[in-house]
Amino acid sequence: MYCGREAYAKLCRRLTLMTRIKTFSWILCLFLICVYPRLSAADYSKFSHATPKHQAACNTCHKPPTKDWTKVSSFPDIADYPDHDACVSCHRPQFFKGAKPPICSVCHSKTSPRDDVRFAFRNPATKLQFNIEFPHDKHQDVIAQLRFAHRPQGYYNCTICHESRTPTFKAAPKNHASCFNCHWKSQEPVAANCNGCHKLAPTPFVLTDSPKRISSKFIHEGGGEKKQHIAECTTCHINITKAASLRGLKPDVPITACTECHNKDGLRQDLSKELLAIDKNRAFVCVYCHETSVGSLDPPGSHYRIAERPPLKRKDIK
Amino acid sequence: MIMLVYFALLLAVTGVLAQTQQTGQTGVLRLRVRVKADDAAPMRGLARKRFFLIPGTIEQNRTLIDAIELQPVATRDCYYKKLGSSAALIDWLKEGDCESVYCRSVDKDFIVGPKAVPEFARAFAASQTEFGNEETARQWVTTNLTPDMRDGFYRIRQRVIETLLKNATAHSVMTDRNGTAYFTDLGPGTYVLSNLVPTELGQSLATWNCEVQVKAGDLATEKPYLVSNRKEKNVKCIAVEKPMPSCAAD
Repeated sequence: MYCGREAYAKLCRRLTLMTRIKTFSWILCLFLICVYPRLSAADYSKFSHATPKHQAACNTCHKPPTKDWTKVSSFPDIADYPDHDACVSCHRPQFFKGAKPPICSVCHSKTSPRDDVRFAFRNPATKLQFNIEFPHDKHQDVIAQLRFAHRPQGYYNCTICHESRTPTFKAAPKNHASCFNCHWKSQEPVAANCNGCHKLAPTPFVLTDSPKRISSKFIHEGGGEKKQHIAECTTCHINITKAASLRGLKPDVPITACTECHNKDGLRQDLSKELLAIDKNRAFVCVYCHETSVGSLDPPGSHYRIAERPPLKRKDIK
Repeated sequence: MIMLVYFALLLAVTGVLAQTQQTGQTGVLRLRVRVKADDAAPMRGLARKRFFLIPGTIEQNRTLIDAIELQPVATRDCYYKKLGSSAALIDWLKEGDCESVYCRSVDKDFIVGPKAVPEFARAFAASQTEFGNEETARQWVTTNLTPDMRDGFYRIRQRVIETLLKNATAHSVMTDRNGTAYFTDLGPGTYVLSNLVPTELGQSLATWNCEVQVKAGDLATEKPYLVSNRKEKNVKCIAVEKPMPSCAAD
């Protein structure tokens, strides 16, 4: 009797387990039949250079210069998407699928055989796929060697690439204008070798165009009537001439670049005055160079060293 | 007894922490290079010349120093003469103290007219045919020069530098128009400051190889390290000068 009850219980457990397996199998089958194909289907409305088959030589698809470049650019450039051949050679089935093939929307703003309007090249609404590799050190060597005794004070050859964006900030190059004038056809990396400068990023990204500014009151075109701030860029941005890559590049400006004029005996004492003001009132906000968010912090040790004083924390001031 | 051990431990930990902080600190070396092209010329900042900082003492870098001193010297004039360049091009490069044609924009005056450089005029004509637009042709004129004409001299110097530094790691910076440059993020220790390839100064070639001490916490706010080709007050590194060699006849 005892043995029979135990065998019955065992059988019940087995049956329950089998039922569970069966249910799970059904769910798995349903998922594989209905959901998985939708998840795994390639989305042809999105183009990625990371796809292995899209990693052939750049000029397989991009042929510089763009046909009729004179209509769209003042210089020979790659200013448009590749021709249909570049896509059709592999994607013929996707090209002729339905009335509005998704693949067309990679380049065309309207998906219609009667409309060939395209997005701007490159499409600003899409994430960036490439990082730019630019060795400042090499370019400093070859282009920043201008030396004329009587030339007016200026930014020298840095302005070939860095024009003014605002009175405070300089712009970084946004197109090929300042690259192709030297790298068009025989100075490597040449225009047809996109990969020489454009390196595929691990994941697509949105460019953050705002490096952290500490002394945001500084004006590049300023410096009084004599516009003394207009100087060769490397005078203040001291790490540019050693930068072999853009990775980790910061607009480093040491405090000495400012205090050579702004904290000099017999000239100006802009830094020392504000440090003295903190001595009198620890809530004082340094405003000569900084916005409140920065000016209300403890001045860094470098500032005190310039003023030949030991560093202080605001909380220690009575 | 327990208290004593506790204090001894505390002292040891503090010591280790302090040392760790010390070793993590870096220093800055601020260079100021001032030269005279000849005795009559005024002292001026040496603009846009690259200097290198190699870890170790002069003795530790003896092989490198010997290689620097024994290397064959190619001057700009000789290189471009050997290439068959026009006197106008050589003068144009010399006027800007250029190592390649990229260091100055090619103004119209150097394409047509009495100051025209024949190489630029030819490249401009080719660019006009290629690009149609006159302004693009002028701005892109270097794309139609031969590679050797463009930057062959610069590339030779780079190859020399690469060969010299094959077994060494070096920091490098370029002086600004006043002859100032900053080496940053330096670990404390002894370094050799060198320009590796001689700098053309008037009719001579100047080479610097000097030992420099960098301490942790050295700042750019301190007095600059003075470098010159003249023995003057406060100058810490003086160049060894050699007369400019005459160009070998082919």
